[in-house]
Amino acid sequence: MKTFAVTGRCIAAPPPDDWRESLTQMLGAKPRRIGTWAELGLYGALRCMADAGEKTLPPDAQIWLGSRRGTYAATDTVLDQLREDLPMPLAFLQTQPSQLLAMLAAKMDWKGHACFVAGTDPGALLRLAAAQAGNGGILLGWLDEMAGGETNWLRLRPSAEAGASFVAAAPDMLFSPQISHVRLDKLELKARLLA
Amino acid sequence: MKPVYLSGRGLACALGQDVGTALDVLRRDGVPPSHISLPGMLGGNFPYYAIHSQQSDWNERARELVQRVAAEAGAQQASSGALFIATSSFDIGAVEQGAAKADYRAFAEKIASWLDWSGPVYVISTACTSSLNALIAAQALLDAGEVTEALVLGVELDNRLTLGGFAALQLLSTGNSKPFGATRDGLVLGEAVAALRLSARPAAGWTMLGGANVVDGSQPTGASASAVVSMYQRALEASGLAAEAIDLIKVQAAGSPGNDAVEAQGLREAFQVVPALVSLKAAIGHTMGASGAAEIVLLTACLEQDVWPKYTDETDAALGVALAAAAPGKARRVLATILGFGGSHASVVLERT
Repeated sequence: MKTFAVTGRCIAAPPPDDWRESLTQMLGAKPRRIGTWAELGLYGALRCMADAGEKTLPPDAQIWLGSRRGTYAATDTVLDQLREDLPMPLAFLQTQPSQLLAMLAAKMDWKGHACFVAGTDPGALLRLAAAQAGNGGILLGWLDEMAGGETNWLRLRPSAEAGASFVAAAPDMLFSPQISHVRLDKLELKARLLA
Repeated sequence: MKPVYLSGRGLACALGQDVGTALDVLRRDGVPPSHISLPGMLGGNFPYYAIHSQQSDWNERARELVQRVAAEAGAQQASSGALFIATSSFDIGAVEQGAAKADYRAFAEKIASWLDWSGPVYVISTACTSSLNALIAAQALLDAGEVTEALVLGVELDNRLTLGGFAALQLLSTGNSKPFGATRDGLVLGEAVAALRLSARPAAGWTMLGGANVVDGSQPTGASASAVVSMYQRALEASGLAAEAIDLIKVQAAGSPGNDAVEAQGLREAFQVVPALVSLKAAIGHTMGASGAAEIVLLTACLEQDVWPKYTDETDAALGVALAAAAPGKARRVLATILGFGGSHASVVLERT
């Protein structure tokens, strides 16, 4: 059984209209050469880190990212380019979801374990992350750009929180702003609500 | 973390569609790559280690290969455990044929249905390190007691998106793969489907002691020496071993002018005495997301059967490291490394028991 405290979050589904401006502000410059999916990811992750009051992650923290459709828009673009020529190099890189992990690591000047999991659900993503998480905890993200987009992130730190106040939670509840702690009890996801 | 046991393996690659055939062909000096033609100014003919097959329908070909390789690994004995699919290209080849939509979940469900898989399914996609990250994740789930069996299935099959992308980045060789070679000029890509069955139950043969993945975003398409060093240190720490305990390292050494040099620098910094080194890229090409699993399958079989890849190209003396011309007399503890796009550096430690 592992319990985590939610020490920061960004719940943006869909993101606010001014999310690009906010991202530019956080980066200190307009992002270049990255696709919308990665921009959305950076926006959510950096907002989450700011909410947690952290500029970077501890070396033993981990980043886990999931998505239903990932970089499908960038992939469509490259497939179109490939009909008559080679794709643009940066366009090809944008088809690789794990590029976002590198960008995020670079932005935070951090090196560590980061992993992209495709097509699962947030609960299964947390299960994989929790199995490997150390004392530095997890930065856990869920990101898609279709249907207005969503970029949901949690900063999770290991917690010794005990007690019977945890209730069973559906995977989609993971990103509820009402949750203060999450717990994996065998295969069951449980949550403790904010007082 | 507790060690996990390698209880089955399977492989389809340019050398053959099962482990035994691949070993036999490698023993007879391997196969030359085929070639693939790409359009545009940076296009042309590029060598490519394709899996020999008459089937042109992507889905049907993938189904045959996945089922064959999984069966070789004894996957049916693990089908209620966790399935980790490791890939950088998913089923994009089928999308290119108009036979699939770019949809991760549909891809995972398709593979699971081919295997009659009843347990949880995860798709790990961290570019070239996908298989090693899948192994690390599988070990953690086994260690947590959430499953007792897991199958890591690396799948990287023919598609123009990957080849075109690597060509556009000018990362491909137009000649041979020359790991750590003096005249190395780029990567030669290849296809592979590879399976490693892991179990919490002790099994004779090979044990996975631990592993580590280090993402360093300072070089989006390449490796960094400090991350290579950190990767080795973390993998050894996770395995409870000192650097001196390693007998053999399967390096990435894909023949990239820049990355091979960075990897060599990391090796020299991480190990006071660099252990014996081996690369399998010249035998099967760089099979990207499947490469970690494919090369572990091939390497463990090589060590058991005393087969060793031959390197015909002159080593780059400036690198300060060289590939072993023959298998080391004892290779009990082995590090298997893959470096990839996205600044991902991954390594796992295996022990022969």
